[in-house]
Amino acid sequence: MEYAIQAEHLVKVYGAGRTRVEALKGVDLVVRPGELFAVMGPSGSGKSTLLRILGLVIEPTEGRLVLDGDDIYNGGRPDLQRLRREKVGFIFQLANLIPFLTARENVVLPLELIGVHGRRARDRAMELLDYLGVAERADHLPEALSGGENQRVAIARALAHEPKIVLADEPTASLDTERGLSAMRLLRRVANERGTAILVVTHDTRMIGEVDHVIRLGDGRVVEKGDVLERPRA
Amino acid sequence: MRLALKDIRYHSFKFFTSVLGVGLLLMVVLAIGGIIRGVILDSSTIITETGADLWVVEKDKLGPFVEISRIPEDYYHAVEVIPGVAEASPLVMAWEHVARMPRPTPLMRFLYMNTLLTTKTMVEPGWMAMPKDQQFVLIGYKPGRIGGPPVIVAGRGIEADNYELVADERAGFQLGERVRLGYHDYTVVGLTKNMVAFTADPVLYTTLKEAQDVLIQPDPDLLRDRRRRYKQQTLPKEKARVPILVEPLAQRAASVAEDTHVVNAVAVKLEPGASAEEVAREIRRWKRLDVYPAPRQVNLQLMGSNRLILFQLSLFRALLVVIAGIVIGLVIYTFTLDKVKEIALLKVLGAQGRRVYGMIVQQALLMGVLGTIIGGVLEQASEPYFPRRVETTYGDIGQMLVAMIVVAVLASIMALRRAMKVDAPSVLGA
Ligand SMILES: Nc1ncnc2c1ncn2[C@@H]1O[C@H](COP(=O)(O)OP(=O)(O)O)[C@@H](O)[C@H]1O
Ligand SMILES: [Mg+2]
Repeated sequence: MEYAIQAEHLVKVYGAGRTRVEALKGVDLVVRPGELFAVMGPSGSGKSTLLRILGLVIEPTEGRLVLDGDDIYNGGRPDLQRLRREKVGFIFQLANLIPFLTARENVVLPLELIGVHGRRARDRAMELLDYLGVAERADHLPEALSGGENQRVAIARALAHEPKIVLADEPTASLDTERGLSAMRLLRRVANERGTAILVVTHDTRMIGEVDHVIRLGDGRVVEKGDVLERPRA
Repeated sequence: MRLALKDIRYHSFKFFTSVLGVGLLLMVVLAIGGIIRGVILDSSTIITETGADLWVVEKDKLGPFVEISRIPEDYYHAVEVIPGVAEASPLVMAWEHVARMPRPTPLMRFLYMNTLLTTKTMVEPGWMAMPKDQQFVLIGYKPGRIGGPPVIVAGRGIEADNYELVADERAGFQLGERVRLGYHDYTVVGLTKNMVAFTADPVLYTTLKEAQDVLIQPDPDLLRDRRRRYKQQTLPKEKARVPILVEPLAQRAASVAEDTHVVNAVAVKLEPGASAEEVAREIRRWKRLDVYPAPRQVNLQLMGSNRLILFQLSLFRALLVVIAGIVIGLVIYTFTLDKVKEIALLKVLGAQGRRVYGMIVQQALLMGVLGTIIGGVLEQASEPYFPRRVETTYGDIGQMLVAMIVVAVLASIMALRRAMKVDAPSVLGA
């Protein structure tokens, strides 16, 4: 079985000496393509740290990480930046769109980063914005969009370069319940229709209904692991 | 997609006010350089434009402007026959005033008011009163010889003794205007430009003979009085009317008025290849003459009373360049640091380092280059409105451009190093 994410015994230590913090103490995790995966747990339990490691933003202190068949830290110095822009899409708590780019330009950006330019990039961006229901807002700056629209554009941006893995850190926290749920359903649909592995960090138990699996972190360890629902594959 | 331009579009107000600020600062830096060049040009222009290689003056005098030098006019004939001399031109050069002040322009009035306010606590009342006459340097030359106006920008030059003047533009005369000098009215027939003394007083050109009249001819009343007394002393008391006697006496009386054949300097142009040193040695053999090469004359004026002001201006320019560099560097630095979040986001999205550097450095360069262009254009446009000559060159602006490019690149790289150090995920709340 090919996994989108395969993590073994991830350990992360921040700082040293008196400021030493062991944020992850050995986390194992596998996510298949098309799965929507939730990471839950109290504040400080290491959720964001896990996400940053999976997203290749920081390196683990120990452990093995295989993304989309690539054993990242096995041999040589990995070009994390390149792997990141090719394999991973990010969705942040605050949409974090680039304020000086329009919705469409924000979606075009990750395409340009992998060398897709011009008309092709623009068409792809419009297609995604359309897919996420914000096509008519394409030429607006983020500040002119509502919170929900911003988050949809952010999802479009995370999907633009067709990453195998999308990582979302509390993507619904800045939205009300209804919009939060609608964003989750959207991610659900993306995972189903595009076969993307999506890992969502969330506090919100109401969002759990949409996901396939949940792991619960506590003090840097997985304290609970479970399938939420068996869903028919699209 | 040019990220740099998109960001400028979004932050256009901030960007362009920064550019304007940079531009105004650079305008001041350029202007002070232009003021320095103006002082240098004003100090040297008469010497350099005359085109003489040597200046002959009275023994032990430094020069026609620095000290009063008087030599007999006809000496120039003797100088001209020295081997190696192409031309010797007798010149009169002296300060003269005209009881006239051109109607002050609004700008001049503003400058005057501003000076009044600035010096309010520094001067006695009355010291700052507007002058009622204008100071000039009157140059008399023999038409056809060197020492006359180098260019005529309006009207015509002077051909003969006809009570005519060519004035520097800055004197403010109109063509055809009549000006009282000495005991005659002169007509302004032509205008020249950039001909001022090192004191910045504009030059009035007339013929040698008329300049001699203006400078040396005594008051006609005084003359008449002298003639009368002379006659009274010499005429026999018994009123014997002897025509034979009167004739030579009248001539002698008249000659009192005619002893004006004195000049201040003789400008000497050498033949190509002639040795200035040898000609100078030849001229010095006259016991009553001294001679200086042209660069020495410029030096006397530049390093004379203008020396200290040049030192001060140059010091301020150096300080201003440093201050401008720091301020502009800081403007670019903070403008870049304001984008920490966007830079972090680009990093997390996997943007190549050169893309991020590109965006920041392009903006910084654009700011520096646009600022320099604005500064240069403003400075060039304002030059004619300065009360004294201010002159920057494209070379100055080019130098400034290079300096600004260096400052922009350094400032943006420093800012970027700071920005790249931030913990990207924490900035993004991830
Ligand atoms: N950059 C960092 N440097 C030092 N300690 C950190 C850093 N990031 C997180 N931590 C610490 O690691 C632990 C886990 O943090 P985090 O992964 O952000 O947890 P969560 O997202 O679940 O709240 C916390 O104790 C936090 O203080
Ligand atoms: Mg967190």
